[in-house]
Amino acid sequence: MTELNDTDLMSRVARGDEQAFLMLYDRHAARVHALTLRILNDPMLAEEATQDAFLKLWSRARLFLNERGSLLLWLLTIARRTALDRVRLEGRRPILSDSNDPDDLWQVIPDLDSMPEEARWRSLHFAVQSLDPDHRQVIELSYYQGLSQSEIAEVLGWPLGTVKTRMRSAMDHLRQKWNEE
Amino acid sequence: MARDEHSIFRENLSAYALGALEGDELRALEAHLQTCDSCRSELVQYRAISDGLLTALPPRPPSAALRKRLQSQLPSAQRKASQPRFRLSWSFGRLALGGALALLLLMNAFSFIQMRQIQNQQATLAQQVRTSQFALSMLAYPSTQAIPIAADNLTGSVLLDRERNTAALVMWHLPELSGDQTYQAWLIEPDGHRVSAGVFRPQADESYTTKPVYPKQDLSSFVGIGVTVEPAGGSEQPTGQRIFKVDF
Repeated sequence: MTELNDTDLMSRVARGDEQAFLMLYDRHAARVHALTLRILNDPMLAEEATQDAFLKLWSRARLFLNERGSLLLWLLTIARRTALDRVRLEGRRPILSDSNDPDDLWQVIPDLDSMPEEARWRSLHFAVQSLDPDHRQVIELSYYQGLSQSEIAEVLGWPLGTVKTRMRSAMDHLRQKWNEE
Repeated sequence: MARDEHSIFRENLSAYALGALEGDELRALEAHLQTCDSCRSELVQYRAISDGLLTALPPRPPSAALRKRLQSQLPSAQRKASQPRFRLSWSFGRLALGGALALLLLMNAFSFIQMRQIQNQQATLAQQVRTSQFALSMLAYPSTQAIPIAADNLTGSVLLDRERNTAALVMWHLPELSGDQTYQAWLIEPDGHRVSAGVFRPQADESYTTKPVYPKQDLSSFVGIGVTVEPAGGSEQPTGQRIFKVDF
């Protein structure tokens, strides 16, 4: 069963195969947890959100359609919504990014050049890190904190137009980097 | 469509892909995307970025405990954990419920018995009071005749009220009887035939016993009254030990 891809494993999970489910967990838990930890910035809450996301994967396995995207993307989308719901539930203040504390864990993990998809994710990560702090902040507040443009303007004390401009500029920069790959 | 308006929609695509657009701008763009192929195409590229942001984080493994917690919530673990507990709690619940019901029934039965006992005691006491009052009233009545009872270890009087055709036996130190026995009063006709005047037992907690007598016939048709010990429920004619006999 170790040779099975995500789609095959999901078919088994949809039939109630717990071993297949645990294999998917082992395969993707670190990525889901990275996302929930980024959003919640609290190890305990992040683990709870990660757990909820995988339980949703278990209960909604029949709804997964491979044609609409990869399992990982589907799972991370669930995890993001779960974590953002938790942020709203907890009434937590937005976490402002610290440019002096960049995520550097990816720099110590084994070289993933043999995995093109992983390489692209890593390059996007570094593209985000290379953004000007103001541009990076609007990306992180919108996507990892679930704030709207007007909410970002309020949090940062910027004019709404400035937020819109910086958000558009940041996304264009990332798109350019993404397309260069 | 005006070029300026299209440009505004295009400018909002990146915010839309990030989920940061809201209100009227969101609704307007979604309506525009229904009809604009170029915007839909451009949105796909922004969506690739936002989807990429989901994965563009260094992996952070959760604790080993999380896997165990998750595993414990899967159906097989739930079954293993819940079945014995379920059975135990189910049987325990039933046992507890059964016990509680049995206890409730017992308490109800006990309360019912106690209530009946209290009611009986009250009825007996009320009867004793009425009887005593009856005897006292007879004594107070001018025409009442009191005839002493002469018997071993027993004293008392027979009260006769011929005008009202009633009588009363007032007996002191009447011996207790076993449960299958009773005292029975007899009115004695001139030919010696006995007519039952009722059964009675010694009054509880009292050293005297009063027995009212209401003859169906005229009291003057009797020549005496007596008391015997009879089986519980009484007899047609005297069969047991005579306690006393008084002639009128």
